[in-house]
Amino acid sequence: MRSDSRPPLFLTVTAIGGLLFLHLPILLIFLYAFTTDERTYQFPPPGLTTQWFAVAWNREDIWPPLYLSLKVAALSTVMALILGTLCAAAMARTRFFGRDQISLLIILPIALPGIITGMSLRSAFSIMDIPFSTWTILMGHATFCIVIVFNNAVARFRRLSGSIVEASMDLGANGFQTFRHVILPNLGSALLAGGMLAFALSFDEVIVTTFTAGQQSTLPIWMLNELVRPRQRPVTNVVAIVVFVTTFVPILIAYYLTRGGAETAGGGK
Amino acid sequence: MTAAVEFLNVSRHFGSVRAVDGVDLSIAEGTFFAMLGPSGSGKTTCLRLMSGFEQPTGGMIRIFGQDCSAVPPNRRNVNTVFQDYALFPHMNVRDNVAYGLMVKGVDKRTRHDRAEELLALVKLEGYGARKPGELSGGQRQRVALARALINEPRVLLLDEPLGALDLKLREAMQDELKALQQRLGITFVFVTHDQGEALSMADQVAVFSQGKIAQIGTPSEIYEKPRTRFVADFVGSSNVLTAEMASRFGAPARPASLRPESIRIGDEGARLRGHVTALRYLGSGTRIVVAVPGGELSVFVTKGHPLPEQGAEVGLVWDAQAMHVMEEG
Repeated sequence: MRSDSRPPLFLTVTAIGGLLFLHLPILLIFLYAFTTDERTYQFPPPGLTTQWFAVAWNREDIWPPLYLSLKVAALSTVMALILGTLCAAAMARTRFFGRDQISLLIILPIALPGIITGMSLRSAFSIMDIPFSTWTILMGHATFCIVIVFNNAVARFRRLSGSIVEASMDLGANGFQTFRHVILPNLGSALLAGGMLAFALSFDEVIVTTFTAGQQSTLPIWMLNELVRPRQRPVTNVVAIVVFVTTFVPILIAYYLTRGGAETAGGGK
Repeated sequence: MTAAVEFLNVSRHFGSVRAVDGVDLSIAEGTFFAMLGPSGSGKTTCLRLMSGFEQPTGGMIRIFGQDCSAVPPNRRNVNTVFQDYALFPHMNVRDNVAYGLMVKGVDKRTRHDRAEELLALVKLEGYGARKPGELSGGQRQRVALARALINEPRVLLLDEPLGALDLKLREAMQDELKALQQRLGITFVFVTHDQGEALSMADQVAVFSQGKIAQIGTPSEIYEKPRTRFVADFVGSSNVLTAEMASRFGAPARPASLRPESIRIGDEGARLRGHVTALRYLGSGTRIVVAVPGGELSVFVTKGHPLPEQGAEVGLVWDAQAMHVMEEG
């Protein structure tokens, strides 16, 4: 009989090893943003410099992909917030034939491999003769962004007592006032969390984007192309840090906003 | 005088379920009206028909003489205290109470003053800044009450408002609700499954059974003169004598109710004899079940009177007028 609750040494060592394996490479990415060697990623770096930040700032081919990525992420987040919330409201408040099946269909895009989503959208666009544009990327991203918002909103709707909506109507509020004063404040943090996750997911998406972007490149695609070129390599790492911060901070905020409730913030992907 | 609420042959069907089935009732202004019945008897649906959250499938509902079938809940001069209180969790107590005025566009100062007045009415002065989550069940109940009263409704609907409270608090709130209703002079319509609550608080009681009203009357009428076996049994668990038994004891040959407390145990003048099969101690007295030829009877023996042993043979005595002949079995 063991009376102490310490885990066996073997488990501790493997757990620490696993975490290091997952996270050390990220630190290396940061480290190589400061290396003086621009062609190979040799370890340890021969010297440290901050010149690559200046170089990246002055490279004109970085800015258009960055703008495109921000634009796509912002627009698909807005789209997901509107459509995802409406879907969640419909699913939470009414019962109808086929409700569970439709709910499954809404969640399906997140379970579907991105490559399938990308291929099917690409062939649909070509059948319908739709030229590639910001909007085609947007449609691709919306497929999974809507699910993220939907999952967060539907969990919150379920937790809300249905009678508070009735109480509001009973006290003389019309539909808009009820939405504005009762539903929205209770849904607020769930929507904010869902929106931030959707933004983060859209901002670093590669697979679906490859199929729906045509000749345009978003920031992640620009990075992918840059990696095969042996020129000013640390610039890619500088951009990686930017991507990391833009996606990690919203996810962290979303995590803290939905903590404590039995809510699905990430929901896969 | 026009009735506060009037139902004319009102029905509400959900698919094949007749939740409310041809109900007629008229609630006079200023009364404390209780709708009593087991769960699923249609009483809550009737309340929701009054508040406007349900639409009748048939019949007409009038509130102060006006047909209100086309009037949505937010335009009815009727407010509800919900069973789960339905307080807005993100607002403090003052904003909860002031909500009805806020959506009307009343300015902040006026509505907050009015909310404080109502909080004083329900004895919650100084609680305005708290969130509903920080209150006890009884306090939330009072907030819900104050919130429902701020629009000065002419009819207040209460959906089992005391159901979630413990016994002691429930009794205190019963007295307070009754006093409040008398002070405000408005009509209270109260849904409950607790017969004691209905009898002690209401001026008029409607007993619901399977979507219909089984009986409507004052609490003493309902208790003393149940019209059907269901009412006799549901309100105060009365004994029901069969038509044959009733006629044997000098009453008309129809089923009759006989209250357990109207029966005494004694040999002199005993109408029936039987064996005691069970004794149940109830605090204020003991309920004794006596097996008699053709059935069993409950007898209530008040505290201080001698109790028979289990299995003993006893005689049962009651006055002829204690038997109340019912309309149906």
